[in-house]
Amino acid sequence: MKLFEYFEPRTIAEATQLLSNYGEKAQILAGGIDLIPRMRKGDVKAEYVINIQKITGLEYIEPDGKRGLRFGAMTKLRSIETSKAIQNDYPILYEAIHQITSVQTKYMGTAVGNLCVGTPASDVATALFALGAELKLATAKSERTESIENFYLDYFRTSLQRGEMVTEVFLPNPRPGTGLAFLNLVRTRADIAKISVAVAIIVQDGACREARIAIGAAAPTVFRAAKAEAALTGQKIIPQAIHKAAETAAGETKPITDLRSTTEYRKETAKVLVRRALEKALEKLKT
Amino acid sequence: MKKQIAEFKINGRIYEVIVTPNLTLSELIREQLDLTGTKHACEVGQCGSCTVLVEGKPTLACSALAVAVRDKEILTIEGLSRGTKLHPLQRAFIDHGAIQCGFCTPGMILMAKALLDENPTPTRQEVKDGLGGNLCRCTGYVKIIDAVMAAADMLRKGGE
Repeated sequence: MKLFEYFEPRTIAEATQLLSNYGEKAQILAGGIDLIPRMRKGDVKAEYVINIQKITGLEYIEPDGKRGLRFGAMTKLRSIETSKAIQNDYPILYEAIHQITSVQTKYMGTAVGNLCVGTPASDVATALFALGAELKLATAKSERTESIENFYLDYFRTSLQRGEMVTEVFLPNPRPGTGLAFLNLVRTRADIAKISVAVAIIVQDGACREARIAIGAAAPTVFRAAKAEAALTGQKIIPQAIHKAAETAAGETKPITDLRSTTEYRKETAKVLVRRALEKALEKLKT
Repeated sequence: MKKQIAEFKINGRIYEVIVTPNLTLSELIREQLDLTGTKHACEVGQCGSCTVLVEGKPTLACSALAVAVRDKEILTIEGLSRGTKLHPLQRAFIDHGAIQCGFCTPGMILMAKALLDENPTPTRQEVKDGLGGNLCRCTGYVKIIDAVMAAADMLRKGGE
């Protein structure tokens, strides 16, 4: 690995000041699970590495009044996976993390680090899209909140500005009567998803009142299939409506062909996975 | 910080080492300290061969910077036995023939230790899940899981 200058800031203000000073030549080290292997391979070039592991108060999962739940930038995937509050109230986030096979990765890796990599193949991000997560972004002087949808701009590009870091993720309480489901397709269980889908659906009097359909690894970023959501909202929950939504969602994907799958296969499986996810979420509402 | 003298606590011993920030924990352990039980294999955090315990937590040494874990308690496979007295996991791996080429063994055993420390009464499925990040290219998984189950039994009965 190439030599770099290394910092261990003790506060968010110190860390963001360093980010502001060094801009694109700097990388934040949280869990390191993505950064260090990529730096060794030379895919990521960093002249300055800012280790945020020594900042106190970034590792927590706690209720946010009655609004929902928050976790910090250093909260490990493993802590989220084993949190009863997450398992009970945000089961698709639990599922998205639980299916990651490497326990070591989950002990080291952070959810926020996973988001900040900016990959469209993030199962964690896909679940968070369906849950309507918000991110808190801080600079040395200010803070702002951004929905996870607006955080992703393009392939490996986020809305983080120079001198800014994500400090927290907020998860709103799922509204009563929300059905949730997460599904993905993988070559082997240890591999990154070919495609992943997370849905949240609210049904009232047999009709869909609200739907969130998030798809990962099928476009330059994780995204919500807005047309499919619109097509489903207000409709009676009958198989035809589900099929129509799944087909519409597949039409909204822009997948690439790579070593994991072809464009055609991803489009076809997007349809199947969205349909299955909606059915699974509806099934859960019955129980 | 460029080059510095850092203190590392490995297997209960303190080592003072001159390190640069770009040194990984696995390079420190193997190349500077000659503790070659920890294996370099995939070096991208996917095989688990380089697993060590940092403050009891399973850590991929290939994906951790050495400077970031200075002053923390690190356990490598060399620190697991007491003198010539093997840890129950080591004993069980031998008794069950859970070793073929041996390359994945140090990582397997340390990951299994972390698993048993957290959950002393795992089911077979929980052992499988716990070792999901450790690859054995001899594919000796059945015997490895047998060994971990047996070690869990030994540890519950008083350990030795």
